[in-house]
This record gives sequence, C-alpha cells and structure tokens, in this order.
Amino acid sequence: MLQELFEGLLLILRFDTLLMTGVGLILGILVGSLPGFTTVMAMAVLLPISFFLDPLVGIPFLVGVYKGGIYGGSIPAILVGIPGTGASVATTFDGPALAKKGKSRKALDMALYASVFGDATSSILTIFLIGPIALIAMRIGPPELAVVLALSMAIIATTASGSLAKGMVMLAIGMFLSLVGQDPIGAVNRFTFDIFAVQAGIDLLPMLIGLFAIPEILLAVESRISAAAKVNKPEGDPLSWQELKRSRRTILRSTFMGGAIGAIPGVGQVVAAFMGYAAAQKAAPDPETFGKGDLDGIAAPEAANNAVNGPTMVPLLTLGIPGDNITAILLGAFVAQGLRPGPQLFADQGPIVYALLGSMVIACLLLLVLGWIMIPVFARVVAIPRAYLVPLTLIFAVAGTYVYRSNPMDLVFLVVFGLFGYGARKLKFDVTPLVMGFILAPPLEYAIGQTLLLSQGDMFNYIVNERPVTLALLALIPVLLFFVFKNHLFAGAKGRPGAKPRARNVPTKGG
Amino acid sequence: MKPLSSICKSIFASAIAVSALTVSALAEYPEKPVTMIIPLGAGGSHDLNARVISSILPSYLGQPVIVKLMPGASGQTGTAAAANAAADGYTILFTHNFIDQLQQHVSKLPYDPNEDFVTVARTNYAAPSVIVKKDSEFADIDSILSYAKENPGKLRFGHSGNWGAFMVPGAMLFSKAGARPTLVPHKGGGPALQALLAGDVDVSMAFNSVIDSQAENVTPLVSVSPNTTIEGVPTTDEVGIPDVGEMGIMHRVVLAPAGVPEEALAKLRAAFAEMQEDKTYKRMLGKLGENTEFMDGEAYDAVRLKQSEEYGNLVRNLASN
Repeated sequence: MLQELFEGLLLILRFDTLLMTGVGLILGILVGSLPGFTTVMAMAVLLPISFFLDPLVGIPFLVGVYKGGIYGGSIPAILVGIPGTGASVATTFDGPALAKKGKSRKALDMALYASVFGDATSSILTIFLIGPIALIAMRIGPPELAVVLALSMAIIATTASGSLAKGMVMLAIGMFLSLVGQDPIGAVNRFTFDIFAVQAGIDLLPMLIGLFAIPEILLAVESRISAAAKVNKPEGDPLSWQELKRSRRTILRSTFMGGAIGAIPGVGQVVAAFMGYAAAQKAAPDPETFGKGDLDGIAAPEAANNAVNGPTMVPLLTLGIPGDNITAILLGAFVAQGLRPGPQLFADQGPIVYALLGSMVIACLLLLVLGWIMIPVFARVVAIPRAYLVPLTLIFAVAGTYVYRSNPMDLVFLVVFGLFGYGARKLKFDVTPLVMGFILAPPLEYAIGQTLLLSQGDMFNYIVNERPVTLALLALIPVLLFFVFKNHLFAGAKGRPGAKPRARNVPTKGG
Repeated sequence: MKPLSSICKSIFASAIAVSALTVSALAEYPEKPVTMIIPLGAGGSHDLNARVISSILPSYLGQPVIVKLMPGASGQTGTAAAANAAADGYTILFTHNFIDQLQQHVSKLPYDPNEDFVTVARTNYAAPSVIVKKDSEFADIDSILSYAKENPGKLRFGHSGNWGAFMVPGAMLFSKAGARPTLVPHKGGGPALQALLAGDVDVSMAFNSVIDSQAENVTPLVSVSPNTTIEGVPTTDEVGIPDVGEMGIMHRVVLAPAGVPEEALAKLRAAFAEMQEDKTYKRMLGKLGENTEFMDGEAYDAVRLKQSEEYGNLVRNLASN
C-alpha cells in the first residue's frame, strides 16, 4: 500500500495539478463567501471544465473548489453573521462577537488554521484507515442512523442552549417546520394548506439567513447608525502563535470528533460543528466566555466540520457510492474521465485512488497559503463604515436567498424568519435548537420510516435479531447522557451553570 | 508595439462589427441566452447530462445555454416555474417522464403537463435492471416474483425515491406480475445501492453503468427495456411481463412551454437534432455511460399521452390495494 501511496503522490506533484487546484480553491473561496451561492452549486457549474482536463488535473481542480467553498462559507459567518450553510451556523456564535471586538482578523485566521488542520488530519487518517472506515460505513443502515441522529439531537439541544425548557420549545418548533411540504416516505403533502409554493417545503438557506442575519441588521439599525459608525472597529492584528497554541486541545478534540462523525454516513458537517462546539464549551475552564467572542468558539466548529470531509470520501472511493451531493458531483467527474470508483478501481488503479486522496491533503496545504494571502483582503470588509455595511449586508441577505434557487417564496420565508429571529432575541430564546431540529428531523424521520418498512411491522424482533449495532448504540445512550448531564446534576447546589441565558442572545450595544 | 490610438481604433472597429452582427440577428430567434430549467438537484445524472448539453448545444443554437437547477416537491417546483415562464423559446425544461407524466396522478398541480408543454426532443433514455446481491438466494426473476406472490410484503424492494426512476418500473413490474413487495425508499440511487450491498433490502434496481462497475457485487436479473441492454440478461418482454419495458424506462426529455412560436420551436428541435451528431457530445455521454438514442419532439409527444394513461393506471392500482 505504501508503494502505491508513494506512486500516487508522485502522480499529482505536477505544476499543472497544483495550479488548477489553486485556481479551484480561489474560485471556491470567492463563491463560498457569497451568501446564497453554495459549494455544491459552484462545483456543478464548474464540473464541465473538468471534463476537458486530464483526470489528475480536473479532479483536483474540483477538490479545490470543494475545499475553498467550505472554507469560504466561514468568512461571512464571522464578519457579518450570515451562515451560508448549516455547517457554519456554529461559527456565527463567536465570529461576529470577535469582529465587534476588533478581532476579525484573528477570527478569520483561526478559522483557516482550524479548518486546514481538521481537514488535512482527517484526510491523512482516511488514507491509512480506508479499509476500517469502509467497514463501518457498511454497518450503518437506517436503524443505526436513526439512533445516532436522535442521540445527536438530544445532546445538542440540551447543551447548546441555556435554558432547557426554552431549548426544547425551539427544538420542537424546528422539528415541526421541517414537516411542512411533501412527506419523504409516502410523498403526501403535509401542512401546505394546498398552497403550491409551500409544497416544496421550507428551505434551510432562507431560514438560516432570516434567523441569523436579519436580526443582526435590525439590531444594528436599532442601535443608531450614527453612534455605531464612530466606534467602528478595524480588523485588528493577525492571530499570534500563542493564541493558536492555546486552542490546540480544542482543535485536536474537534478533529477527532469530526472524523468519527464523518465515518457515519448521513450525519454530516452540521452535527460535527455543533458537537465540536458543545464539547469545547464543556471542556473549557471558562465556558461563560463562549458566545461572547472566544477564539476556541471558532476553532471548535471549524476543525470539526472540516474533519468530516476525509471519511465521507470513503464510500465513494471504495464502493462507488456517493453519500451526498458533493460526492455525487465528484463521482460524475470520475465517470466522465472513464474512471468508475469502486472496488475494481481500487484493485486496478490503486495509485490513482491514492493520488486523489493525496490531492485532498495538497488542496488543504494550498488553502493554507491562499487563505493567508486572501484573509487581509476579506478582513477589510469590517472597515466599511456600518452605515454602508448594514444595508450591504441586507442586500446580500436578500439577493443570496433569491439566487439560491430563484424561488420568490423563499423571500417570504426570509422575512418571516427574520422577524421571528428578532423576536426570539428580544425574548432571549436561542434559535440554535430550532435550526438543529429543522436540519436533523427530516433525516431522522426518513431513517425511522425506512426502519419501519424494513422491519415489516415487527420492530422489536427486527432490531434484536438482525441489528446488533443498533442494540449496542441504544445501550450507549444512557451512558452518554449521564456524562452530558453529569455537570448539571452535580452542580445543582450552586445553581446550574448552564442555566443562565447565553451571551449570544444579548445584543451587544454599540458594536 | 502598437500605438495606443491604433489599438483603440481596432477595438472600436470590432465593436461596430459586433453591433452590426447583433442588429442583423435581431430578427431571428435566438437573440439571447436560453435558460434550461432542471427540476432536480445538483450532482444527479440529469445534472450531468445537462452539463454536457449546455457545453455542446450553444454551437448549434448560436446562443449560450444557462442551466438553472430548481429542485423541490418531487420536481414540481421547477416544472411549475417553466410552465409559468413566457412561451418565447428562451425558457426550456429538461426533465424526465416520471416527473412529467406521473406527478399529475399523485399530486395537485398548478399546470397540466399535456396542455402546458410541447416536446422539443428526447435526448436519450436510461433502462434500469433488477439487481440482487451476488450471494442472493434468488437466481432469476421468476424466483423473486413467485416468492413475492407467496409471501405478500415479505420481499424488500429498495428504490431511489418515491415515484422515481426505480420505483415506477419496479412497482409496474411487480404489480403486472401480481406480486406485492414492501417498497423501501432511499435518498437517491447511491444509498439504495448501499442498502442492497449491506443486505438491508433483498432486491433493487440500477442503471447499466453502475451494474458494470459493481460487477463483482451484484447480479442483474432482468432489464426493464424494450431491447437487450446487457448481454445475457433478458428483458421484461422476454420473461413474459409486457408493456413495462416501454413504460418503465427513464426518458430524458426537453420540453418548452406550450404556445412557443413555431419558428423558435423548429429552431430548438433542429439544434437538438444536430447536436446528436456531434462527436464530442457522443463521446462525453458515452463516458457517462449514457446512450444517445434520440427521438424527435413530435414522435415523443405521442409517447407522452400513452405514458399518462399507463401511469394513471399504475397509481390507481397501487392505491386500490
């Protein structure tokens, strides 16, 4: 294997491969940083270019777009609080707070270093553990996925939010909203009131932009532009080595959590980012600084969501099965080059497979260089006077929502969620559990529906007799929940530390 | 080095030339880019086909083709958007027969597929085959069908999504044979294949390119197709299940809103027909594992009416049990 790996690396250490990877990264960062333009969309549009390139140039080019796009998404999340994807929601907890403190440069640097470390480490681990990861992927079917999703939802809902009751209310609202539209198992319309535009359901992007960006804008307007303009903070200094070293445990922890979550098909970056954030907060000596602009609050979700990337490639490369849209596009690029990922390709052309895995690591390293060059430019955004920046943010929020899939109904959702998010802030409700419920309920429902069909009406016997992994996971639930609630239980006498409203609910005046 | 003034002059001259060209072209369709709506998401086989079309078609149409993905509600969102677009030939829809002709029987639509659209072309079709795992107890389609008939609901058939390219032919095949399996939906062909390999479901479907690459893991038993697509694998007609081969394949079709000017429709149809002869087009689709079995718009319009009827029967049949 080592020899094949070495041969593979030699195949991609070419000038044109590196150049096109770099071009892909720059395009990806630019597209990813624009709200409404998703990485998937960028890859789909640029896919035909790869048809006409050598496979070892075209595919690394797309990998570059992919990595650049994911990193680019963290830029608006940090600077203006608009998460472009579910994966960067957790980055908005501390990103804008840091920007308001005049530390946006540090936040962008931390996001870059944490992303690159998480991604590169998980890609390297994937190269060496590709066999075991493929085995795990085959063991995860609908029943196992349902248990993992339910467990993630429980952990995130109870840790990410201050008040348990408020968190649960928001979680329930989010889960309910996800039911609107066609039901995924029976294809029957639910809660659509026979309005055609609602049949497609509510999309995540208008919800994210509405809940996170619109309240920021409204609060900025509320706090009077003229006063705010005077205290406009510059981008500040770059991240120091000391600061990066202080976050090393967080980055490492998030990387391993993200990698482990990535090995379970169907869970994904969003869960990883939230889990990484929650774990970092739990482990921190000063959890109350989280959400008020803690660099660890950037490092944790960014390392975790990028660490998912390595293992998600495994089912594609070993079995030829794409697990999500991004791997589906990569599969298209492979196929158009006459390469069919799967066991056959691995056996016949091992070096090519390793070359492509290696190109993921190389893309990470190039991202480090390019990000380092581009960050100072992006960081200047915060130097735009707020009197201009706030309306500009609004334009990007609205345009981004529409451009996403050209559906006018999405604009209605944007406004409704914007007002809802504003009200929630005022009433000190954290909207994060709502988003989590909204993101996780559909796959959970789907997995449960599939399990019901697979069990053919006899769920108990099906799980006991045919699903040992599900049984093991179910047995793990009480153990994990005990660890999660341990602090809650033992700190009872001093008042629950998590019980106070989280700082990110409190609008920072004059920021 | 050229002096600046002469560069300016040549730019100016070419600008005049370009504007003269556009003026002379004004009278004729197409004078601006054509938008091709896809009612499906990024990364699917339709998206891949569309990317090939959008890179080749412009040389025959004389204008760029912009791909616009509008997924949602089993394809209804994008189809409705195309139905509501101006019928000027600048908006076309790249869809498939199950979205086009089946949705009307299972959902309340704000458009009528046969009243509101005309066919520009069928670019190609994809014929799925019934597959089982290599070590499956089922060696041929008859054993599956007789097992499913004797044990109603016991056989698990995994497909790629409700009313999609595997569910419809699968449901047709089983219901024509009088069998009743449990239909288990998955989010796309990838997860459906994984479920078969992991043993979660007993039988599934796949297109030829996937079957080729999984030759060591899966066995194709019967092709849903009017003619042989894999050597040694019988078609549904050959195993005595009529009509499924004709109605169960997935046609990739380009539609235009009804009322599109004659001249624009003719130009579009001609451009698609000419594209079929393009070497690069053939080569790229070949690499994607797709055929280039073209059918012209008028011929396909007749097929659509028959599909509508057949799919209506299928839905009523499934609902009545």
